[in-house]
This record gives sequence, structure tokens and C-alpha cells, in this order.
Amino acid sequence: MGRLRVQLSVLLAMLGLLVAAWGATIFLGARNGQVSTESQQFEVSRFDELRRAAASFRVRLVDASANQRDYLLTSDRRARERFDATCRQAEDRLAQVGELARPWPSLGPMLQRIRSGYVSWERQTLGEIGVHDRFGTGAAMALVARGDSSLRFAQLRERNEALDEVLADLQVSAARRQRSTYRETQRLALDAAVMILATVTLIFFYLRRAVGAPAAVLRWASSRLAGGDLTTPIELSVPNELGAVAADLEVMRRHLAGRIDGLLRLRELSAQVVGATSLQGLCDAALSGLGREVGAVRAALGAVDRDGRLRLRALSGFEHPEATAGRIAAAHHELCAFLALKTLLAGQVVGIGDVDEVPKPVALGELAVVLRIRALALVPLVSRGSFVGLLALFWEQPHRLDTEQEALLGLAGNHIAGALAAALRYEEAERAAGEARAVFYAIADGVLLTDPSGRVTAMNHALELLGGWTEAQVQGMPYAEVLPVEDEHGRRISPEARPLAKALATGEPASDQGFGVDLVTRDGRRVPVAVSSAPILDPRGEVTGGVDVVRDVSREREIDEVKSALISTVSHELRTPLTLIHGFAELLVLRDMPVERRRAAAEEILEASRRLARLIDDLLSVSRMESGRLILDPRPLDVAGLVERTLSPFRAMAARHSIRSEIPGGLPVIWGDPDKVEQILTNLVGNAIKYSPAGGEVVVAVSCDDDEIRVSVRDQGIGMSPRDMGQLFEKFYRVDRDEVRRAGGTGLGLYITKRLVEMHGGRIWAESWPGAGSEFSFTLPGSGELAGEGRR
Amino acid sequence: MKLMIADDEPAVRALVHATLEDDDYEIIEAGDGVEALEMARAENPSLVLLDIMMPRLNGLDVCRSIKSDPHTSDIVVVMLTAQARERDREHGMAAGADHYFTKPFSPLALLDLVERVREGQPDQTPR
Repeated sequence: MGRLRVQLSVLLAMLGLLVAAWGATIFLGARNGQVSTESQQFEVSRFDELRRAAASFRVRLVDASANQRDYLLTSDRRARERFDATCRQAEDRLAQVGELARPWPSLGPMLQRIRSGYVSWERQTLGEIGVHDRFGTGAAMALVARGDSSLRFAQLRERNEALDEVLADLQVSAARRQRSTYRETQRLALDAAVMILATVTLIFFYLRRAVGAPAAVLRWASSRLAGGDLTTPIELSVPNELGAVAADLEVMRRHLAGRIDGLLRLRELSAQVVGATSLQGLCDAALSGLGREVGAVRAALGAVDRDGRLRLRALSGFEHPEATAGRIAAAHHELCAFLALKTLLAGQVVGIGDVDEVPKPVALGELAVVLRIRALALVPLVSRGSFVGLLALFWEQPHRLDTEQEALLGLAGNHIAGALAAALRYEEAERAAGEARAVFYAIADGVLLTDPSGRVTAMNHALELLGGWTEAQVQGMPYAEVLPVEDEHGRRISPEARPLAKALATGEPASDQGFGVDLVTRDGRRVPVAVSSAPILDPRGEVTGGVDVVRDVSREREIDEVKSALISTVSHELRTPLTLIHGFAELLVLRDMPVERRRAAAEEILEASRRLARLIDDLLSVSRMESGRLILDPRPLDVAGLVERTLSPFRAMAARHSIRSEIPGGLPVIWGDPDKVEQILTNLVGNAIKYSPAGGEVVVAVSCDDDEIRVSVRDQGIGMSPRDMGQLFEKFYRVDRDEVRRAGGTGLGLYITKRLVEMHGGRIWAESWPGAGSEFSFTLPGSGELAGEGRR
Repeated sequence: MKLMIADDEPAVRALVHATLEDDDYEIIEAGDGVEALEMARAENPSLVLLDIMMPRLNGLDVCRSIKSDPHTSDIVVVMLTAQARERDREHGMAAGADHYFTKPFSPLALLDLVERVREGQPDQTPR
């Protein structure tokens, strides 16, 4: 297709030839002109010479004629010599003319005539001279008078003049010829120039039509392409190379437009998959984006879990996703064996154009039938070099991927892999955040989060309960306003001195040392708390917030107080009998006393010892019960007998109290540890007596219903307030009343009693009427079902 | 010389009685703090033995009241208590007590103390 080149070559060759011709013309014309001008000049000057020679001949001729006449007349020798000399000169001139006229043969005849005329004249004159010499002058003159020589002279002159005329004519024509040579050369040069101009014009128009306009179109098209306009087609119907370039450009444009289109679709898909935060969303986006391109109708997305195993995570386009997921999960092992994992791990898209043509386990064949899958494509999802999952696309009809589709799937796979990795990270982060959130909100201690400036960003339920604020109310508030704290003297602790402020400032955890800080709640209550704080640091170690953990230590403080009260009580209760033992013993040892006082002192020592022993027993019981070492020794019990046995020592001792029992007949035999049941009863009856200082009746009533024995001990004592009733059975609890204090005790009796009842599988409770008395009741199950705790 | 023993524990009162009864001391007894304060004002004893953990009014408060009342401030107050910590002793002395005995105590040491008090204050001892 070298048409344009050929055309251009031809044109340029023509132009070259013309220029060469022009140059040659000018050169040759100039040279011819010069040459002809020289020859013509030569001719003209020859003619001049000729004419001069002819004129000189004429002059010599006239001189010769005059010299002859002179001789004839005078007969002077000298004249005769002159005549001869002039004749010779004339002949020389004539010969010179003949010589000069040789290039022009046309002059020959004329010269011949002159020569012959001269010869004839010379002969005549020489004849006259001969006459003269022989006949003298007169004869000579007579001959002259006949005039033959004059005639001949006249003829010769005429002929000579005629020659001169011819020569003059020739000279004129030579000059005229010289001028015409110049003009011709000029015309030739001009013609050549015009032709060159015409050719150049022709070339110009040709170039404009064949090259310029298409080039402009191409330029415009290429600038459009460069500018990114891929929609306007490039049309140029010029049958030469430029046309071919335009056609190539058009093909290129279509390819590029196709690429751009593909890229746009891929970008759309990418945007969709990147926007999907859930794996289901990702799967849906992948199907809707890729399904259009490759015609797939269903998709499944698997992700590699933390154990490195591929798990089905989402399905799209299936009618019953859950059932399908179940089926696929059931065929997990077959599937894993079937998948071309090696190829997939290498990042290659695997297409199975027709499931029926591929050898596979029976289970998978059935699965494909049930799910109506005929063809599938497996797109490995590889992110940052690691296999993060697998996208499977399904067709209901056989479908073979072409190269472009395969490339598209591979490329899309990269995007989906990135999105999947992000979604998995997101999922992991969500899970971790969920865990953190669950811990945060579920933790029993109050927890508060702040930003770096100490403004509250989150607060957990425990702190809501503790401080009386809700999380929504305190968002953005300075934490010190939400959780004002005071020291043990009721002075407000300044925000700067608090652990959180230190933690935020230093980036190190901080806490208030020990107890002694009270939180002032929203409703003004003071709650003893222990506060510890820590900064929240980002990976660069910058403080991004703070966490304040506020623990309600009122229970600890209470326990502390209880412990201290217990130590005090136990100490007091131990020291009192010890004091008595020590004191009376010292008196017995160091002083002489009458017998009866000795006896009284010994009795005090005895009683104090018993009291000490009881106290120690109680403490040991509590200790054993709490460590689970107290065990029952159950056997069949005769409750009636046991009650009577227990009451008899009280009856013996009681002076101001009457102790009565109400026991019906026919009570069932129950299982129990007789010592423990006796201990229960002893405690209750002992209390009844102890707390009815004014005396009165103590009634122990036994009843039976539904296989359950119920024993109640009623007194007419001081009774209890409802507030005391609630804590009655707690360890070391003692009703804060003088009568109670006066009665002494460790606060352990009812606690032990309750535990013993419960160990037997029974219940214990109390009713009371302040000032009128109390009634303590407990049950013992008749069926012999003991609490497992103490069974042997 | 009149002595008062205030203790909610009858056996302790009995011990004090037994310790001092050979000598000619007049011993009055109180079973709680309020009773002790009333008796101190009414009977104006030369010496009071005060338990601390007593019903109704504790011994420290009784001591403070006795010491702050010009009529009774001359009474020698001896704390006789099971509270044996150094801090308790400081509290007792701060409340104005003259002596601090912790239980268990030696009856003879108590007798010695009482005799020293009697010798120091012979005029106030009614015979």
C-alpha cells in the first residue's frame, strides 16, 4: 500500500526533472547565447574588416588610376613607380578581401567579378602605359580618350560598391541574428519557470488533498484519543497510508473503549464489593457484578477460617440458601478433595464447562443435580499472597469460559479477595469489639472511657447503677463531673489529682492507693470506691483516651468493719471468761479465803471455762461449716424424745421461765444427726430464755404435716424489729439493743443454727412482735432426704 | 473509801468484789453506762472502775462525762476493759481516764492500785 509514497515520488520526480530542465535550459541558453554572440560579433567585425579592406582596395585603385594618368601625362618615372606600388597594394587588398570573405562562399562570385574587373582594368591601363612608352603621350592620350580604361574602372568601382552594400547587409543581418538568440533563451527560461510553478501548485493541491486534510483529521482524532474521548468513531476514507492509519486508530479506539468499558464494569464491581462489609453482601455483589458479565446465575463464597480451613460463608442466587448450605456442608470433604486446590492456590481461575463431563464422586453428582448446576467457575481469592477464600460461580447450562471472561474473573477475583480480606478483618474486629463491649458492659466494676481530654465516651452498666447516671446523659461530660470523689474527710478531690488525670498525662496506669475515697453519686450518696485508671494508647504510644475503673468497695469496707467488729467481739468474748479465770484463780492462789468463797470462785472459774469452751466450739463450727468439713451423722430420730431430752437441763436451770413442750403423738421417725438437731434446739431455746429477761413462758411445739416435722420455739421476750429480722441469720449479726448486748453472745448462734437446719434439708424462719416475743421455727424433712452437703 | 465498779458482766463485778472485799471498801456496782454515770453523780465515789463495752452508754463516754462535770471530775477513773490495743488505750487516756487496765487483769495489781489511790487521797476516804 505505498500509494501515497508512489504518488509523492512521481510528483517529486517530475518536479526534479522540471527543475533540472529549467537549469539546463538556462545554462545551455546562456552558453549558446554566449557562443553565438561571440561568433556573430566575430562575423560583424569580419564584415567591418572586409568592408575596410574593400574600401582600402578602392582607395588604392583610385590612387593607381591617378598615378597612371599622372605618368601618362608627365611620363615621370616616379609616377610610374607609384602606379606599380599602388597596384601591388590594391592587389594585396583584394587578396585580403578574398581571404577574409572565405567563410561566406556566397560572396565568392561577387569577389570573382571584382577580381576579373580588376584584372581587366589593370590590363587596359598597362596597355595605355605601353602605348605611351611606345607612341608617346599623345597616342596614349588618344587611347585614353577612347575611354576604355575609365569604363573598366567605373565597372570595377561599381562592383566594389556592390560588394560593400552586400557586406553592409550581411553585417546588419548578423547583428539582428545576435539579438534574436537572446530572446529565445529568455523565452525558454520563462516557459520552464511557468511549468515549474504549475507543477509546484499541482503538488501543493495534491498534498493538501491527499495528505493535509487527512492529517488534520488524524491529528484531531488522535488528540481526541489522547484527551480520553473514546466514543467518537474515527472515519477517514482516504485510500492511502493515512486512511490505513485512521482505520488502525479506529480499531485501537474500539479496543480501548472496550478495555475502558471493562475497567468501568470492574470498577463498579470493585465499588460494590468494597462497599460490602458482610460476607453475604460481598457474595451478592460479586454475583450481581460478575453474573452479568459471564452469565452465571448463582454464587457461593468460601473463606479460609482462622484454622486455615475453607468454609462456606455465603450463598447468592439459591432458592433455599440454608438447605443448600447444609447440603454443601455435608459434602465438605468430597468437595475439598474435588476442588483443584493446587491450581486455585496458585491463583488460577478454574472453569468446569460441563459438570457431566468431569469425573466426580457420586455425592457431588447428586449435589449438582439437586442444586441444578451444570457448569461452574472457581475463582481463587488471593490477597497479599495468601489464599483467603474461594468464589464459585454456577451456571444452569454448560458454559465454557473464554479467555476474556477468565481474565475478567481473575481480575475481579483480586478485588473480591481484597474486599474479603477486609470483610474478614472487619468481622474479626467486630467480634473482638463485641467481646470487648460485652466485657465492658458486663463487668461488675464500674468502667468509664474518656477521650484524651477526659470527656466521657462510654460508661458501663455497673457504673450507671453505681453513680446514678445513664450512659447517654454523660456523653461528652468531663469525667470529674460525672464521678466526683471525696477523700475520707469529705473534701472534694481535684480532677488533676485523680488517677485518670495522671494516666492521661503520663501514659502510665495509676490508681488511688488503698481505700478512703468516696464517690458522690448523682443523688448525693457517698459510696466508698477504689479507682484505678489507665491510658488507652494507640500503636505509636499516643494517648487516645483513658479508662477509669471504679470499684464499689462498700462491701469490702463493710466486711472490713465487720471483721474488725468481729475481732473486737471475739476478743471481748474471749477476754471476759479469761479475765474471770485468771482473776479468780489468782485470788485462790494468793489469798486466804473462807471455804465458801473459794467454792464460789471455783464455780466462777468453771462457768467461765464453759463459756470459753462454748465460744471456741461455735467458732470452730463456723469454720468447719464454711470450709465444708462439718458433716452430719444421720440416723433415725425420735423427735419427741430428743426435744424432751434437750429441754430437761433448761428446765432444771430456769428459775424465772417456764418451759413447756407441745408434742403430738404418732410423729414419723425422721433421719437426722441427733447431736446437730439437739444443738439447733438448744440454741433456739437458749436464745428464747436469754432474750426474755423478764421471764415468761417458752413453748416448744412440734407438729407434722406432709411428712415434714416442724419445730417452733416461742417466747414472751423482747422481740425484734422488722429491720433486725432481715439480718438475723447472718454471721456475727447482733441486734443492736442494750438487752441484747447485756445478754452477751458472739452473733454466731443463729448463723450456725440456720446452717445446721439447711444441712438437714430443712428451713428456718422467725416471726416476732417487738416487746411481746418471738417465734423461731424450723422444719426437718421426714422422708430422710438430707442435704447432700453433709451426708455420709 | 467508796468505789464503783461498772461492768455489764456480773462475773467481772463479782471478781472485783472478791478482790477488794477484805479491806474496808464500800463497793457499789453498776451494770451499764447510764447507771454508772447516775451512780457516780449520786454517790460520788473516790474511784471508778469502768468497763468500755457496756450497754446504753459506753465507758469512754461515761469517763468524759465524769471528767467534764466539776462535781465528779475529782473521781479517779480506772478503765478496766477487754480492749487491749494501744489505740484503745490512747482513746481511753484521751477521754480523761487516770489509769488503763486491760482484761485479763491481775486482781492483786488492781488492789495495789486502789491502795495507792487511797493513800494518795486519805481525806476523801470516808471511814
